[in-house]
Amino acid sequence: MGNGGRFRRFHGCVMIAAFQKLQSHFVMRGINVCQLAGHNPNQVFDKNTLRRRSYSTSTFHKTAQLQPELSVDLINIMEQKLSVIENRHAYLQAIVNQVDALPEEYFTANKELKKLRHTIDVVTELRKKHKEIEGLKLLIAETQDDKDMHQMASEEMGQASEEEKHLRYLLLKSLLPKDDADERDCILEVRAGTGGQEASLFAMDIFKMYEKYSQKKGWKFDVLDVAESDLKGYKEACAAISGADVYGKLKFESGIHRVQRVPVTEKAGRVHTSAVSVVILPQADQVDVHLRNEDLKIDTYRSGGSGGQHANTTNSAVRVTHVPTGLTVAIQDERSQHQNKAKALKVLCAKLYEMERSRADASRSRLRAEQIGSGDRSERIRTYNFPQGRVTDHRVGITSHSIDGVMQGENLDTFVDALLLQQEMDAIASLTSKQ
Amino acid sequence: MKSSSFARPSLSSILQPVFSLRPKHGRPIICSTILPKPHTPIYLRPPAFQATLSELKKWHIWAKNQATSVGSTFSDLDNGPDSTLLHRELNWLVEDALEQPAILLPQNSRNNYDDATPLSIRACLDDLYKLWKQRIEERRPFQYVVGCEHWRDLILSVEEGVLIPRPETEMILDLVDNAVKGNEELKNGLWADLGTGSGALAIGVARILGLGCGRVFATDLSPIAVAVASYNVERYNLQDRIAVRLGSWFDPLKDVQGELSGFVSNPPYIPSEDINGLQAEVSKHEPRLALDGGANGMNDLIHLCNGAASMLKPGGFFAFETNGEKQSKFLVDYMHTKVKGSFYGVNIISDFAGIQRFVTGYRA
Repeated sequence: MGNGGRFRRFHGCVMIAAFQKLQSHFVMRGINVCQLAGHNPNQVFDKNTLRRRSYSTSTFHKTAQLQPELSVDLINIMEQKLSVIENRHAYLQAIVNQVDALPEEYFTANKELKKLRHTIDVVTELRKKHKEIEGLKLLIAETQDDKDMHQMASEEMGQASEEEKHLRYLLLKSLLPKDDADERDCILEVRAGTGGQEASLFAMDIFKMYEKYSQKKGWKFDVLDVAESDLKGYKEACAAISGADVYGKLKFESGIHRVQRVPVTEKAGRVHTSAVSVVILPQADQVDVHLRNEDLKIDTYRSGGSGGQHANTTNSAVRVTHVPTGLTVAIQDERSQHQNKAKALKVLCAKLYEMERSRADASRSRLRAEQIGSGDRSERIRTYNFPQGRVTDHRVGITSHSIDGVMQGENLDTFVDALLLQQEMDAIASLTSKQ
Repeated sequence: MKSSSFARPSLSSILQPVFSLRPKHGRPIICSTILPKPHTPIYLRPPAFQATLSELKKWHIWAKNQATSVGSTFSDLDNGPDSTLLHRELNWLVEDALEQPAILLPQNSRNNYDDATPLSIRACLDDLYKLWKQRIEERRPFQYVVGCEHWRDLILSVEEGVLIPRPETEMILDLVDNAVKGNEELKNGLWADLGTGSGALAIGVARILGLGCGRVFATDLSPIAVAVASYNVERYNLQDRIAVRLGSWFDPLKDVQGELSGFVSNPPYIPSEDINGLQAEVSKHEPRLALDGGANGMNDLIHLCNGAASMLKPGGFFAFETNGEKQSKFLVDYMHTKVKGSFYGVNIISDFAGIQRFVTGYRA
């Protein structure tokens, strides 16, 4: 593990540099350099390495070496934020404590308080730590003559400032803009794009990849609808994935996934390029999207006939139309009409929710547009090159040389983690640039 | 399964003692008639048989070819199933019959399972051939083949002699749900599902009423239906809230006359002369008793309509399924003229295909 050790240190440097300069792309370029250096890429990008890079609090707590130095600018910004947060918290607390507060006021204040709770805890801790450090400074100044006391105080000082750093980092994390949808379950849609039959075979492979990945994560993967192609690939497939933070983990999978390989149908052995589009939507319920039954039209799109006792059919397909937007979702693979309808509604709600979110995003600052996964679904995000056995994500410039591992859902974390990391770096960058 | 006009003389022999002297705890059927033993759906049978992967693959390919060869023949002939639908049914048969159905799915065809791998199945290989042959050659309904019907969020056991619940009928439960919402009296009252067949509506209603005081009677003229409905009731552990009674329409409910808070029914409503022209799955396999509504198909609906006036208590809710616009309008007209003043809030509701399928209302 000689190499591993070197890399770990290297990563540490990269991180510190990134935190200081607050330039997200630096990190990613840095990683690319590692890879170009010609080391076994599987080892470089194994799960552990990435986890180490993912700034988990435990890592930072334990490995002083990896503690990021926050830039002075950033610390100043956060100091300013401290009092803003405290004032806001006090204001909300006052509303909640008011006996005659309007129910609506109370509700919204309470909701915001809940969101602030974690941050305010960290702020309180940080204030305490500041006081402690002040006290220790005083003590150090006063104990110039008492060598033992002086040393003890200095030691404690060292520890306290380490803890302060850690708390600052926690505060930074809690200040970063968070997507409320991250904790939601998601809907996965995979569609074969250019490339005919080969594209639909790859669509099936990609769909299966997410299924295996979900199994590995302990998430529930529920197939909603599959439209098979002639070669038994998938023209279109749709699934509901549920578990902890599913949307937050998978949201950057949206986009065009390109495949380069020799199709099974290709006799001459030429490599073809085809594409599959993936869409990840946060799940929502009827309440989230203010869906009213009056706005729904449900029909069976079956060819005429008297129905009822006249017909015995196992076809219980249902099409749900949201009249105001004209969105329609049809589901046919379930064995009862009720379940087809429930699934169609699930997909419809997710689509409506996404529409609402993108409306809100457009009116929001440029923040999101600059981030990865700007939501542009026509963006080519990843290439799966089978002849070379590699998968490359074009947004973070990371390549995994274990294409089988990725397709089996085992090495997909390589990309998922890197994208989450980049999201965090981007968020930090925008936090400072906003000031 | 249901009709007041059928087999009156033989009824007495079935009906005799309505109350048993030795009621067995937890058994909803209180009747001395020996009921037929219901079949267990394939998916609930133990995986007691084995076949190798190659044998199953061979069967699967054969079955797929059978399905493909049908093309649009059946649908052209009598609106029966086409190949696409049969392929989907075949997937479901695999799902029900194999312990590891995924192994036969097309996406796993590239996985290298050993062809000699023995796999556990819930029906022997010969039966799988036989069952699919029945489906294709005899047009035996798929639900009888696998012994169950997925209906709403339920999986109901069905077999020959019991009407297979239709997707349209699912909506009756939405209508009941709407009526019961915010109406504690209905929610905690006595309900009835007349001509219950597999017990679908009775089970659905009982689940809507929930754990309160609400109780449901399910009646049917057919002993097979009573046996199958009882089996389904027990499978959903509702024997304490649903009583299945053998007999024609309201006959077994004399003890609760005028006390019902609600009742639902999907009675036979197809005009006699139309029966033979129905798709083969229905006309050749499903019980005529559950389909034939007499000359204009209205015999039983009219009977139920008259009964509703005496069985329901004031404010009580009813929902019927009908053959469509003509029957629904006839029924509403009948309520407004022949049994004038008995009902209010009478409404016609369309199914998802846009056919005016249901008539609902309240006892005045």
